[in-house]
Amino acid sequence: MTTPLGALGAQVFPVPSHVALFHHGDAELRALALEFLRAGLDRPDEALFCFGEPGVGERLLRDLESDVGRDLSPESRAGRIVVGTADADVDRQLENVLAPLEAFRASGRRLVRFVGIVAWDAPDFPPPEDFLWFESKLNELLAGFPVIALCPYDVVRIPARAIAYGGLETHPFVLSDGGLRLNPQFIPPERYLRERLLQLPWLEDGSAI
Amino acid sequence: MRERDARGAHTNYVAEAEPGRAALDVQRGAIAVLDNVGNVTWADEAWAGDDGEAGLPAAPIGSNLLQTYREYDDPRAQAIADAIVAIFEGTATYFEIEHRASRLSQRSFVTSVAALRGDRAGAVLIQRVVSGRGLPERPRVVDLRSSDGAPIGGAIDRLTPREREVLEFMATGLDNRAIAAKLRIQYTTVRGHIRSVIEKLGARSRLEAVARAYQNGWVARL
Repeated sequence: MTTPLGALGAQVFPVPSHVALFHHGDAELRALALEFLRAGLDRPDEALFCFGEPGVGERLLRDLESDVGRDLSPESRAGRIVVGTADADVDRQLENVLAPLEAFRASGRRLVRFVGIVAWDAPDFPPPEDFLWFESKLNELLAGFPVIALCPYDVVRIPARAIAYGGLETHPFVLSDGGLRLNPQFIPPERYLRERLLQLPWLEDGSAI
Repeated sequence: MRERDARGAHTNYVAEAEPGRAALDVQRGAIAVLDNVGNVTWADEAWAGDDGEAGLPAAPIGSNLLQTYREYDDPRAQAIADAIVAIFEGTATYFEIEHRASRLSQRSFVTSVAALRGDRAGAVLIQRVVSGRGLPERPRVVDLRSSDGAPIGGAIDRLTPREREVLEFMATGLDNRAIAAKLRIQYTTVRGHIRSVIEKLGARSRLEAVARAYQNGWVARL
């Protein structure tokens, strides 16, 4: 199955897909994420899933309401729009993603548009190494779901190592400068643990993250 | 029998033994096995001795280290034994592994020693190993105790058998649900085990616990 990604471009995304979105600051994130989500609002068989640190998913939903000029509470109550919260415990965070996806699938949604806003070394977010494991693991776990997962990496705010280890190496697709590309840096999850995660410098020598 | 080597390190040779099960029979229980390429395993884990025996009897982890050799003419084995004894005796703090064209991994040795000490910081002390003594004719059981006489154990010995199983699965990259399916238990129970493993290994994260498990040889290499 493939689907156009709304106004983000004419590209056709495979479903499921796991996409790193590189953006510059909040304004660009807001514009791109809202484009992506808004395209789903017009299709009743699609669902929206806003995810991030506590309060971040809610803020994205409020922005979407503001963008479309109406209250989206009915969609939320109907389970068509879900806000998910990150957790410092990576196993709990994984559950916070998988449980709503299972509910969407059970209710017959054709497509889930997921936006999971990335943080790095933040108190209510998994530690960086666990987060990288989570990102890599998603490639396996999303396989059973009709989902396009967009992971925004703010190149202004988060460190370069997050971009390199996380954005570039755990996503089969990257979206930057308005274009969707197959990601040549992607390392499949069956190799990522051995080739990357176990070699992370801060795990090897105790250096700073 | 207590001997002092050229550098002043003490070694308690409590027995001599044949390879494999016979060696373990000398000191049942509380045995860690260090082989001549620097890998540490525990005697209560399935371990095949040089004679091919597997499924050795369960033993609590604790105070003793069994140095075992596969190549009796390998001087590195004695260097490792010397280094470990000196480190535990507190008489040596400066070592460097010489491993030209050898299979011996400096890192695996360093981390193995750190694991035995249960003290990660110990790894930074080891920079040079000097080997000068002759080799024993057969493996020896070395009684290793800390300076206060207490048994030396690694962080791994604080894990329950179930937690060790969970750690093995974590190390293969499985998530909670997959581990739960393998063990036929609730994934919430698995989460409890994982939190416990992380805490007992003194790690700050799931991944750090897995990395330590590999670094210390507690799980098989991927």
